[in-house]
Amino acid sequence: MAEIVTAYCASHAPMQAVDPESAPKEQADKFFAGLEHVRNQAERARPQAVVMLSGEHFTSYFLDALPQLGVGLAEKYQTPSARWLRMEHSVLPGEQKLGEHIVAGLVERNLWPALSYEMEPDHGFLTVYDQLDPTWQLPLVPMVLNCTTPPLITLRQSYEFGIAMGDVLRSYQGLERVAFVGGGGLCHFVGEPRIGDIDEDFERWFLEELGKPDCGELLDVPNDELMEAGNGTGEVRAWVALAGAMRGHEMKLLSYEAIYEWIIGMAVVTWTP
Amino acid sequence: MSIYQVQKCLYDYLRAREHAPKGEQPDIATVAAQGYDLDDEERKAVEGLDLGTLYAMGTHPVIINGLARNMGYRKADYRPLLAGSMPPERKVKPRWLKS
Repeated sequence: MAEIVTAYCASHAPMQAVDPESAPKEQADKFFAGLEHVRNQAERARPQAVVMLSGEHFTSYFLDALPQLGVGLAEKYQTPSARWLRMEHSVLPGEQKLGEHIVAGLVERNLWPALSYEMEPDHGFLTVYDQLDPTWQLPLVPMVLNCTTPPLITLRQSYEFGIAMGDVLRSYQGLERVAFVGGGGLCHFVGEPRIGDIDEDFERWFLEELGKPDCGELLDVPNDELMEAGNGTGEVRAWVALAGAMRGHEMKLLSYEAIYEWIIGMAVVTWTP
Repeated sequence: MSIYQVQKCLYDYLRAREHAPKGEQPDIATVAAQGYDLDDEERKAVEGLDLGTLYAMGTHPVIINGLARNMGYRKADYRPLLAGSMPPERKVKPRWLKS
């Protein structure tokens, strides 16, 4: 049976790849140090695949058919976004059988994801994945969450989904060691007049609650209240899902910086396996 | 008129530009001419890539952000283009606010 040997969440910002030096050096260094920590952690743990959860940015799905949850089942993934992200590679290896197990396992648990044999991992995945494995050899199962187009799942539903994901991953018999990673957030506004604002009060509060048993008060936050922290902040659903999957495991905050030049609060947290 | 056709046109435009080889990326007029059901006001905003008007019409913010990036804006520097619209009203007082 598989073990989740590495579990962490990291913010993602296109600017961290396109122009990392646009951020104040001290802030960028702290954020990247957090990513280096989890990369080293993963190198020691030797995961055989990574399952990564990120918000959908209309790259793999659009409004013509937008699921709440989508799972990638391809053997490899083309990544047109890699070009403008200035990344060295452009094709990601997939882990099809694990993806199929995830879909089947979620259906058994009354969660009904869409499945895609042609998902296109975008900056939400690539900025995080590239820091985890710069050689792009670790097989990936990408999973997207609808975080922007109402109606949206609540943080409580995200947590319950995460609990189910933890069960599903640990029930997989095809691999021994899996990494589970959430990408996105923290606070940001996109495509609206408040773009560039960062609600630091929310971010500090969120990170504190995330580390508490059953995420403290987080799961009581309704969607309209969460939206007050930014229309892009819904991506923290991935973080809450990871917290569900790693329920009972200790969370550690590795770095947090509100990087206004990247328009996003940037953080990295990890859970002890 | 449903905003969906506006959004579909803009989405198709962004996708076409992302997937096309450099130097072969289509312009918005070429894409917009492909049968989208747009009224005159919508067509004008789409073909002009008028972010402020598109936002005011209700275009999805992910599309607005994608357009801005494609137009060469980085980070928050397209904020002035949306300044004519009010941000969404605060509906609830968040529990994490200190003041």
